[in-house]
Amino acid sequence: MASEKNSPLTVRDLCKNYPSFRLDNVSFSLAAGEITGFIGRNGAGKTTTINAMLFLVHPDGGEISFFGLPFPENDREIKAKIGFVSAGMTYYTRKKLKVITDVTRSFYPGWDDGVYRSYMTAFGLDGEKTPAELSNGMKIKYALALALSHGAELLILDEPTSGLDPISREELVEIFLKLRDEGKTVFFSTHITSDLEKCADRILFLQQGSLKADDTLDGFRDSWRIAECSGELPPALKQAAHGLCRTREGYTVLVRKEDAETFRAREATLEEIMIHLEKEADAQ
Amino acid sequence: MKMLMKEWKLCMHPMGYLMPLCAALILVPGYPYGVCCFYVGLAIFFICLTARENHDAGFTLTLPVSRGDAVRARILFCTILEAADLVLMGIMILVKYAIGFVPNPAGLDAGLALIGDGLIIFTLFNMVFFPCYYKDINKPGKAFVFATTAVFAWIILEIAATYTVPFFRDILDQPDPQHMSEKALFTFGALALFIAGTAWSEKTAEKKFEDLDLSL
Repeated sequence: MASEKNSPLTVRDLCKNYPSFRLDNVSFSLAAGEITGFIGRNGAGKTTTINAMLFLVHPDGGEISFFGLPFPENDREIKAKIGFVSAGMTYYTRKKLKVITDVTRSFYPGWDDGVYRSYMTAFGLDGEKTPAELSNGMKIKYALALALSHGAELLILDEPTSGLDPISREELVEIFLKLRDEGKTVFFSTHITSDLEKCADRILFLQQGSLKADDTLDGFRDSWRIAECSGELPPALKQAAHGLCRTREGYTVLVRKEDAETFRAREATLEEIMIHLEKEADAQ
Repeated sequence: MKMLMKEWKLCMHPMGYLMPLCAALILVPGYPYGVCCFYVGLAIFFICLTARENHDAGFTLTLPVSRGDAVRARILFCTILEAADLVLMGIMILVKYAIGFVPNPAGLDAGLALIGDGLIIFTLFNMVFFPCYYKDINKPGKAFVFATTAVFAWIILEIAATYTVPFFRDILDQPDPQHMSEKALFTFGALALFIAGTAWSEKTAEKKFEDLDLSL
């Protein structure tokens, strides 16, 4: 966990109760200049966490601070230093990008037109177009161009690669890596874990409203192994298993690294870990 | 000012330009002129509806502004439309007198008191619409139905009053320049009511929007 004092974002005991869902004491801290992947299945609470972090929904408990400043007490100052990009960028679909940009620019004293133009050129965006005329990938790129032009130090992205084709996703991953090289902090929720395998430094795994893991990508992956079984599961494997998945050849189960040798298990991908842990939770 | 520009450039609906022009209905004989103000309420409803469809709240709240700023800007913007409508109504009243005054059997005659009546209508609209709208910005239609009900209830009462209440019948519903001091007093009173009512509406709407969980 990053030092809270210098962290671009610290969330402490964040709670939000709905009749059929509870965000349960979520706590984490981001390290500056890192890409943090926020993973979990649909409905795990990723968007609720982000909305509660930004006070778009009111948390029932918990503390949030950005750059050491409590939120929402310092909302104007904080919002000037962050960029939020949600999937689809569905704002003002019939307005020209240049009009949306003109309005956005007026709110940020630190807006850099040179940076904006360079991103518009790099992303192949035309200010005369409207969001309705853009593909989902281009909408995300436009939202990123806006966020980066006002000098956002922290980018919060909610499912930015959702619904994109593999090439567009790869392009975005490369953009995130470039941003990290420039010292930006990226917080990136997704259920497409393969994107995170390519770029994330840290992983936060949310399951049914609770944070189940907060680790480096390598550390998280290294904790688990996949054992494959073609027939009935041996009792010992059944006991060590964390989630069972059916495959064409038989079954795969997730086991702890310590049990890897016993079951001749191989390394697990992020997706395999997430799926097996979700299967385990479903079975309980 | 930045927020007002944002409202104008991103949230303005064409109805916002067209509906104040309904002030020209003052030239129509035998028309309940208070309804001219209702059309501006309709434009405000369309602006809020368009804002919902364009996920305006989600965009606005990621800007370095507070929720209160967003509410104040929207209400101020709508108040400017209302003021524009009243100015156009004033111009149309002058035109009506220039081309030949005809008494109106459907409510107040065209004259200074009609501007006061318009201020009362906008006060009612603002006091009902904005608190209701900011309780749930995804339901502007509900707020509009409530506000329109209040507005038409007043318009019906006002029409009835021009036949039954002496102050309305014998003073306000008389051609200008008769009883100008009473009409001016009525209009200034309505202006004070408008300012106080809209300020109350803004405070109440702000409180409701602060408490609202947004599903973006």
